[in-house]
Amino acid sequence: MAILSIDNLTKNYGAIRALDKVTLSVPAKTIFGILGPNGSGKTTLLGIVMDILKVTSGSYTWAGDQTTDELRKKIGTLLETPNFYHYLSGEDNLKIAAKIKGRGEEDIDKVLQMVNLFERRKSKFNSYSLGMKQRLAIASTLLGNPDILVFDEPTNGLDPAGIAEIREIIKDLNRQGKTIIMASHILDEVEKVCTHVAIIQKGVLKTVGSVSDVLNTSVSNQVNSILIELGAADNALLKNILKQMNGLESISVDEKGIEIVCRENITAEVVNKFCFDNGVVLNKLNVKRKSLETRFLEITGKQSDR
Amino acid sequence: MLNLFKIEWLKIKTYRTFWLLFAGFLIFFPTAFYLSAYKYMEMMATSKNFQERVIKTLVEPPFIFPKVWLASAWMGGLFFVLIGMLFILLITNEVHYRTHRQNIIDGWSRMDFLKAKFSMLIFFVAVSTLMVFIMGLIVGYVFSDSNADILSGIKYVGYFALMATLYLMLAFLIAILIKRTGLSIIIYFAIVCIVDNVLWMIFSLRDSQVGYFMPLEAVDSLVPNPFKPAMFEKRTVEDYTLIIAAVAYISVYGFIIINYFRKTDLKT
Repeated sequence: MAILSIDNLTKNYGAIRALDKVTLSVPAKTIFGILGPNGSGKTTLLGIVMDILKVTSGSYTWAGDQTTDELRKKIGTLLETPNFYHYLSGEDNLKIAAKIKGRGEEDIDKVLQMVNLFERRKSKFNSYSLGMKQRLAIASTLLGNPDILVFDEPTNGLDPAGIAEIREIIKDLNRQGKTIIMASHILDEVEKVCTHVAIIQKGVLKTVGSVSDVLNTSVSNQVNSILIELGAADNALLKNILKQMNGLESISVDEKGIEIVCRENITAEVVNKFCFDNGVVLNKLNVKRKSLETRFLEITGKQSDR
Repeated sequence: MLNLFKIEWLKIKTYRTFWLLFAGFLIFFPTAFYLSAYKYMEMMATSKNFQERVIKTLVEPPFIFPKVWLASAWMGGLFFVLIGMLFILLITNEVHYRTHRQNIIDGWSRMDFLKAKFSMLIFFVAVSTLMVFIMGLIVGYVFSDSNADILSGIKYVGYFALMATLYLMLAFLIAILIKRTGLSIIIYFAIVCIVDNVLWMIFSLRDSQVGYFMPLEAVDSLVPNPFKPAMFEKRTVEDYTLIIAAVAYISVYGFIIINYFRKTDLKT
């Protein structure tokens, strides 16, 4: 069953079309990534389904239900930036959020501990660092143990340890059977965390599906290729030898080693044997499957245009 | 509604600016009212020069029953702009902190947000009206004779409540439409102090009565300056027509607020 169905959604800001006939549905119990460059319309999309922005045309339904005011109380959402009363403590801010959601205050200590903010719960929000603000916002989404969570750039402003913690929390929530919708411009994040992905650019949905489907579907008229990293004691010699190999599409050298792109029938074994037969012993051989980044660039083009 | 008010109260109960402005009204209004009553009565009791004697004969004494209700309502109105400013601040703060978005994301409907703010409006009107009533009572008892007619001017307490409601509805409308704190407060003061008076002057030329129906003048005229001699009063329209006008303005402002806020994108 689809948790969220979006049908032909269009949003104009004056003359600018922020979303153009976007149609997608989010299956239950997935981690659904919405991936796109800055300004592609991710936040607009989430803003609309949370009723803080109004559609120009099209519609959406949450779990097949049209009335969304009550439903939103059961969704934990972090949209764009942490929004809190600056003069109140973290704890008091969560009390307000809990009251609006119609919950008691019994969850507050627990969610503050989950994001490591319990010791600072009495401090005013405006004394928090960027990362602490973000963690308070995530704590707020966990109030009332909702079955659906919506995160817009959840690791924004966090240090590496914080990023890892939040990703672990997200995966753990999914393991508990919760549906998570997550917008991000960080490919790595989507690849590491999400089960499904929608790629959106300039308000247009480019592709949508499970992460493995999106990765494995090739762009039409383009032969799939794989990327291999390799190295040897004498990289210049290695390069000259590789040039004679069949099935090679391109070769590039940098200080870290050599990268080759070849047809997908070339395996590590073939490369290794070829080099050894030609008198070079490899000290590094690493086959990279096509990453989301490659796919992303194939789909959106290499220019960072908006 | 009570539930919404409790949440609003959580937002402001430790907010220093709220207490500063609110206490400003609760302290300055009674103090200023009592002191001016005291000074005025002292001056009248010992009036020697010509000017003071003219005032004494032309003006019905403002600080004794029944006119003290009008004086209390009028002076309460002067200090009420503090509350107007505070109310604007509480609404534009939500936009500034983007919490108006968060409240709705967390599950309020847009109407819930407006109702919550309206519950604050009722709170401010109720507290300030109570204050006007208490000060009228105290000052009236202190300076009146024992056989004074206490209740006959008490309608002015009701007029004050109507005036306070209209002033806050205007503040509500400006804050929702303008969103920025500073600009909203400037526009509010411009309308309260300048625009409404200019409109009143233009529409009161040649003894026209239209001026009394200007947005704020309608309620201002219900609570006229108690120091103005009655013979200078040119208003001939009845109180009840002004009450109808005020209620109409309140409804129109409310309608615009609801219509706008339900359909707009909540941006900052």
